[in-house]
Amino acid sequence: MLDFGGVLLGFQVAFNPVNLLWCFIGSVLGTAVGVLPGLGPAATIALLLPVSMKMGSPVTAIILMAGIFYGAMYGGSTTSILLNLPGEAASVVTCIDGYQMARKGRAGPALGVAAIGSFIAGTFGVVGMTVMAPPLAEFALKFGPPEYFSLTVLGLLLATYLAGDSPLKGLTMAVMGLILGSVGLDPLSGAVRFDFGVPDLQSNIDFVTIAMGLFGVGEILINLEQSEAASILTTKIKNVFPTLADLARSGWAMVRGALIGFVVGILPGGGAVLSSLISYAIEKKVSKHPEEFGHGAIEGVAGPEAANNSAASSSFIPLLTLGIPGNASTAMIFAALLIHGITPGPFLLKEHAPVFWGVIASMYIGNVMLLILNLPLVGMWAQLLRVPYAFMAPLVMILTLVGVYSVNNSVFDIWVMLAMGIFGYLARKLKFDLGPLLLAFVLGPIMERSLRQALLMSHGSFGIFVSPSRPISAVLMAVAILFVLGNLWAAYRAKQKAAAA
Amino acid sequence: MNSWQRVAGVVLLIVAGVVIQQSLFVLRLFDQGQPGSGFMPFGLGILLAFLACLIIVTHRARDAKRVPFWPSRAWLRPLLAVIIMGVYIVAFDDLGAVTSVVILVTAWLLVLEKKRVWVAVFTGVSTGLVVYLVFERLLMTPFPRGLLF
Repeated sequence: MLDFGGVLLGFQVAFNPVNLLWCFIGSVLGTAVGVLPGLGPAATIALLLPVSMKMGSPVTAIILMAGIFYGAMYGGSTTSILLNLPGEAASVVTCIDGYQMARKGRAGPALGVAAIGSFIAGTFGVVGMTVMAPPLAEFALKFGPPEYFSLTVLGLLLATYLAGDSPLKGLTMAVMGLILGSVGLDPLSGAVRFDFGVPDLQSNIDFVTIAMGLFGVGEILINLEQSEAASILTTKIKNVFPTLADLARSGWAMVRGALIGFVVGILPGGGAVLSSLISYAIEKKVSKHPEEFGHGAIEGVAGPEAANNSAASSSFIPLLTLGIPGNASTAMIFAALLIHGITPGPFLLKEHAPVFWGVIASMYIGNVMLLILNLPLVGMWAQLLRVPYAFMAPLVMILTLVGVYSVNNSVFDIWVMLAMGIFGYLARKLKFDLGPLLLAFVLGPIMERSLRQALLMSHGSFGIFVSPSRPISAVLMAVAILFVLGNLWAAYRAKQKAAAA
Repeated sequence: MNSWQRVAGVVLLIVAGVVIQQSLFVLRLFDQGQPGSGFMPFGLGILLAFLACLIIVTHRARDAKRVPFWPSRAWLRPLLAVIIMGVYIVAFDDLGAVTSVVILVTAWLLVLEKKRVWVAVFTGVSTGLVVYLVFERLLMTPFPRGLLF
């Protein structure tokens, strides 16, 4: 049942002038980040973590970061359509038909449909969140250490299998993230781990340092390998408002995209990229003119753009209700909440209702702002593409170097960030996905604490995780095991087929 | 690329070895009958070793065509960037945060992006000013006072 009191409280918080301003700033920044290739929402949120720490109110900080996250989903379609260059990973699919529409002189309707689809689906996602989040938070109160351990195992497995191309490499990065998370003080016994005699390593590695290194420095180093691409913007944008015929063709694609994105977005590792891929595949399958796909089919733009925005909203559900982030961006937001002394999870709704409802309400407002920013003002965003990356790169680098210092006033942190940047750069070269590493780094302490507490409860027996007396844990663990076995079986069958062919 | 994947596997194997060694001999697997501080790291070390071996085994085939890790000196610009950042960090305490920012941005634009001197200097000084206003004045970050500023 809908908690109208909570929704009203949320709007009361969100309509605070300061929060409205930061929602707008987040939406603008997010759109800019989405438009500009080479800087994703995760990196931008990482860069702003030190700034968010100086904000007095945690709800303001989260509103800003949430705005960046879902704003990037709106902006990512602009470069995809105008330059055949995805501004953001979730907009890769939009390149396929969006750019073809632009080549035929229909850039305006493509951009218009992308913005409208994003608005409808984004709002749908937030409504779904409003309805589903409170009962899920209530259910999560039944979670104890065995349930949390099983949930984090399942979450990490899903994230590694669904997020990247290689589950083996994803899992490896997840294990590395768990190991990195154990450097420093053991939260239960107080023992110092993996310090190797370095005093600065005795306190745990800061999340901001890891995030800015991997996603800030690493991103820039990878982009430096390419000499500056002369992406000259020549496409003229005429009339961004789609015709009635365009809307009629793309309407159902938006609805389907919104539903797909909502469901997939809740899954850890699911998120915007996967949902846009699934949406495109489904639109092509159900279309009466599948031969048009790849040559400028408007459904090929509407569906994926709706899906990625809906997924961006629904990915907040596991974060806020269970305390389990599902992707790198929500992992940053998770860390930001912790920095402000708020633990995301089932108690967030009870103990910090203004934060919970304030963030949700701000997403309604943010979606309206983004529709206004992206529909009539899309020409302005297209001008951003004229800013040479040569100037963006050192500015972003300065933000990371200065930003990470401002967290703990420690030069050692800057060295660690540089080391993580080099690691992230080499990992990307070798096609290792970094998202699972960051997720695991965040979930690692929860996982270890839950594991050791559960084993304390069961006097050392691992059976507690699959015991009939803990049905939630047993189901979660069974799903995790079945998921792994299912994927192994599918891989084995694929190999057999390949060998037979 | 298979050969580089195998190198990565070996590096991960070494990391796993260090983690296992630390967990067994420095930390405690069990503490008064309960899982100790080395319990989970030990398990992770074993898992990492297993995954590293899998990476090595699944990439054991010789590359059909030799693919360079860094085609046509693509390593040069990232390396220069790392060196510039390293110099920045070393100079940070002595020269002061803002001065180091000016030098980093100017050096970056001159060396990496081959911009004209006046463009690089102007951008460097402007960036230093913005950093001073935003971080020192607005956010009151206690940057170290160096030789110059």
